[in-house]
Parts: sequence; structure tokens; C-alpha cells
Amino acid sequence: MLKSTTKLLAGAATVLALGTVSAAADIKIGVLVPDSGPAGLFGPSTRNSATLAAETINASGGINGEQIELVFADVGVPPAEAAQAALRLWKGEGAQAFVGMHDSAVREALIGRFNGQIPYVYTPVYEGNSCATGLYVTGETPSQQLAPVIPHLTESEGVSKWYLIGHDYNWPRDTNALAKTYIADAGGEVVGEEYVPFTVSEFDSSLQRIKESGADAVLITLVGGGSVGFNVSFAGFGLDEQAIRLGTLIEENTLAGIGADNADRLYSSSGYFASIESEAAASFAADFSAAFGADAPALNGLGQSAYEGLMLLAALANKAGSLDVDAMDAAAEGTTWSTPRGDNTLTGRHMAQTIYLADGSGGAFNIVASFGNVASSEACAN
Amino acid sequence: MSSVLFLNLAWQISTLALVALGLAIVFGKLQIMNMAHGEFVMIGAYAPVITSSMGLPGWLQVPMCLLTVALVAFALERTIIRHLYGRMFDSLLATWGIAILLREAVELIFGRGYQSVSPPIGGTLSILGADYPAYRIVVIIGIIVGFAALYWWNTRSKVATRIKAMVGNPDLAEAIGINTARLSAGAFIFGCCTAGLAGLILAPTIRIEPMMGLDYLIRSFFALVVGGLGNLEGLGIGAGIIAGTQSVLGAVANQTYGYLAVLTLSILFLWLKPDGIRSSSR
Repeated sequence: MLKSTTKLLAGAATVLALGTVSAAADIKIGVLVPDSGPAGLFGPSTRNSATLAAETINASGGINGEQIELVFADVGVPPAEAAQAALRLWKGEGAQAFVGMHDSAVREALIGRFNGQIPYVYTPVYEGNSCATGLYVTGETPSQQLAPVIPHLTESEGVSKWYLIGHDYNWPRDTNALAKTYIADAGGEVVGEEYVPFTVSEFDSSLQRIKESGADAVLITLVGGGSVGFNVSFAGFGLDEQAIRLGTLIEENTLAGIGADNADRLYSSSGYFASIESEAAASFAADFSAAFGADAPALNGLGQSAYEGLMLLAALANKAGSLDVDAMDAAAEGTTWSTPRGDNTLTGRHMAQTIYLADGSGGAFNIVASFGNVASSEACAN
Repeated sequence: MSSVLFLNLAWQISTLALVALGLAIVFGKLQIMNMAHGEFVMIGAYAPVITSSMGLPGWLQVPMCLLTVALVAFALERTIIRHLYGRMFDSLLATWGIAILLREAVELIFGRGYQSVSPPIGGTLSILGADYPAYRIVVIIGIIVGFAALYWWNTRSKVATRIKAMVGNPDLAEAIGINTARLSAGAFIFGCCTAGLAGLILAPTIRIEPMMGLDYLIRSFFALVVGGLGNLEGLGIGAGIIAGTQSVLGAVANQTYGYLAVLTLSILFLWLKPDGIRSSSR
């Protein structure tokens, strides 16, 4: 018994020693991507974007002079399993920082597991107000996506009667709570609010309610397949003539599922679209298709957010002079860096960024307005 | 009842009956609990994606759908299903595996992303004082006509009688010269083809992606649980109760109550009346 325990310990020591040797050569960054599960659609574009970010960082001197290497784990699994996978990268493979593109439940599990001991950048669109030592957020929060956009649409489209529809969980409810204040401030009113369970795949009765409400604008916080089904039927019933639609999670894949016939006057608000016409965005898109081929999974805001996350991590670690959480926390406020999204600033651990409003009419996003340096009102006190 | 609610009901009930038809045939006649039923709906829905990616004209969607679904069903019947006739639980496990295989195969070919299909008939029609999508109206009428024809065929065709004989007593049917192997294969492929056609017909009105089949399997299963197996009336009653409950409660209350009621109904039927309202004619 004793003998086998000694053997085991010796083996573990060897593994740890080897781990340290290889970690000394490079900085390993754990990248948490959804390879499976409902968000699995975004796995490939997330990996590709992260890989591109690592190349960019290494080409410009790495982090504090050291080259970085990415190690990936699948977090499209239940939170407890995702935390285990992250732990393997951290303790097993020696990852010194994490960048994660996954849902909020996984984020909360990871915050508990990391306990402020390792820097962690969370990248997708989310509901806001998540604050922890060592946690930095690049994703858009509802205030960023709506505060500039609702007044803009009120003006440009002349809409005032809003119907709010979303899936029944906290992101849509938090988004709509904020939306109501922006709608009221813009002189509009909310004529209906509805939350549907994830299991529902037909929206006929909701569409009838929207029609009867006389809404001229619909704010959509349905996600994924539900959003596709809703929007297809919405146009099928000719409601696209009655009301504009605004979505805060309608990206390139969702629009492809909705189809060109059903996307008239469908707006989307996001920090990234593949069709942003800046030089930085165009060169990012060109690098992406050069590296992964024209048939690679389409670029979209969620996948591209992994690029943003790694660039933030590099900017912050370079500013702090290390990947130590205390040093990074001290240096965090006011960190600035540039990416395909535009010029970004870290305020309250969240990313103040350019917000784009795109029109999906005709089945492709066309940027109709952009709002520079939009800060989140759901950021941290510090 | 507002006319839109009436039309929504007609749409939901008729499309559910169409989707569940294949499951009813395969389960009721062959005792195969086909968990891959939804995947045949999915493959049918991809037919327009196949024709448009090959640059073929739109009218080839129907033959393309029937061809792909029939080929897949034939291959599966010859290799796996034929060993499982009458073994309900084994067939459940085997077809669940097949379902995963088919989802992964479609994902390999077309990717995980959403696809979209344009309706052959666009716009809305003014009917009973409501604006309703023209395509849906055509589909509702088509399904009613189709079911009437199937009912008529089922009461007079010799094939239907032979199937009845085979279900009632396979050995005796075999002894009087009915080729049960061929008849079973035909019934399985026919059932799968109706699922594929349902997918093709629904394609312009739904989301299309490799995982979509699950929704259709579950709703079809509920319809059969409530209506009972073995005849077309049961199928109609089951589809009417399940789709009707969801639509009406969804309209007067909200979707959560609608779904809750459907689940409750299905559980009550499984518990208290496991044979459904119209049980098998066996």
C-alpha cells in the first residue's frame, strides 16, 4: 500500500516537473470554448479567433516578452464538468490565465473554482453585473447594446410602441428591465412583454398578440433556434410590414437561418459584425479567411469575442508587467487597446467599446450606425 | 374564437398529424419504436438545401426528398431494423443510436449552422377576415386531402389488408403466401417517407439544423400516447388534443401553461389510459 502510494507520488512529481519545464518555455493560456452543447455552433469560430489572436500577440512580442501558447477545453457541458475541465488546464497543464466564451452558469462555477487566484477574461454578450477579483469582461451588456440604439431607432424609424419577447431566463429579463427605461426616456411605451420556455418551437400565439398590440417595434431576446423560428414565422405572417425588429443576440448564423426572405427591417445591435468596414476589421476578416479558408465557419460576434478576450489579456498583462492577479487588478482601470471592434477602454472591469447597429434586410448585415466608446452601466464599482 | 386562432389550430393539428403519421405506421404496424423518426423529418427538411446547393430547379425538391429519405430508410431497414421487428425495447435503443448517427452525418455534410428555405408561395391571404400566410393555407388543404386519400386507400387496398394480416398473425400470413419481409420493409420505408415529406413541407416555416428532429419526435410521441395506436382516427384525435391544447392555452394564457398542460396530459394518459383514446384494432 505504502509502496504504491510512493510510486504514485513519484509519478506525480515527474509529471509536475515536466509540466514546469514546458511552461517555462511559453506562457500557456487556457481558452474555454463550447465544442459541444447548445452553443457548439460557435465552437469552431471561437477556436479560430483565439488562434488568430495568439498569432497576433506573438508576432508583436508576446506577453511581457514571452511567447504564448493556447490550451483548449470544451465548456459546452454542465457547469461542474466545465469547472473540472478548466481545473485540468490550470493545475494539470499549467495554464496561467483563462479566456472563456460560454454561458453564465459556467462563468459562476469558474469564478468559484478560480477564487481570484488566476486572471480570467469572460468574452460573450451577457447580462452584466458580474464582478470578482481577477475577472475582466469584454462582452457587450444590455445597457451598451440598447442605450444608444433605442433612441436612434425611435428617431430614424419613427417607432414608439415596443413589444418585448424573450426566452424565460435572466438575460432576457435583465435586458428588458433596462430596455423599459430607455424606451420611456425616448418617449415610447411598452405594449407587451412575454417570456417563452426554451421547449416552445412555435410562436403563433405570440405573433397574434404582437399583431393585436399594435406594436411598431419588437425587441427580441430569444436565443438560437427559438430566434430563428420566431423570425421566420414573424415574416410569414407579414408582421415585418407592421413592426421593425431589434435583436441583441442575432448574429450571422442566426440571420442565415432566418433567411433573406424573412429579414426585412430586422436590426441587430452588437460590438462586432463580420461586415464592419473599418481597416482593422477588414484586415482581421481577411486574415481569418486566409488562415482558415473561405469555407471556415462564418465569423460572428460570439466567436470573435475570444479574439477580443486574448487581446485584452495581453494589453492588461503588459501594462501590469505580469500575469499576477493583484498587479493586473491594480493596473486594470483605464487600460486601452485596439481591436477589430475599434478602440476599447477597460472601465469597471468591463469593456467600453464601439456598438454597431446593423440592418439584416436582404439576408446580410449592413451597418447603419455606430456609436463610439459606449461604456456599460452594469460594470463593477471596481 | 377568433379566426386566426381557428387557422392556427388547423395548422398546428394538421402538421402534427402529418409529422406523427410515420411514427404511427412504424410503431403501430411493425412494433418498432422509431426514435430516429425526427431525424427523417430533418433529412426531408434538408432536401431543398441539397437541391439549391446542386443548382437544381425547385420542383426537384420532392423527388430529392423522397429519394434521400427512402435510400436512408432502405439501408437502415436491411442492416438493422429488420432484425428488430416486434422487439419494441431493443428497437428503441437501436433507433436512438441511429438518430445520433444521422444527426452527426448531416452535421458532417452541411455543418452545424442553420439553413433557410424560401416558401414556394409567399405573402398572406385574407381569409375569414384574417391575414394568414398563403403557404400555410395551401399546406392545410393539402394535408386534409392527403389524409382523406390515405383513409380511402386504407379501407380498400389489398396491401392494407395484407399488412393487417401480417400484424395479426405473421406466421399465418407467411403461410398463405404473403411476403412479410418485403411488406415490413415497404411499410417502414413508407412511414419514413411521410416523415421526410413532412419535413420538406414544414421547411419554409421552421428552423433547419441537424438537431431539429427532437422537437418533432417528442410531439409526435405525445400525439400517439393520447390518441392511441393502430388507426388514423386515433392519430387525428391525438394530434388534435396535443396541438389544440398547446395552441389554445398558448393563446389565452401563455406558452408555459400550454406546454405544461401537454406534458400533464401525456403523463395522465400513460398512467391511466396507456392504450390511448382509440387503441389498436389488433
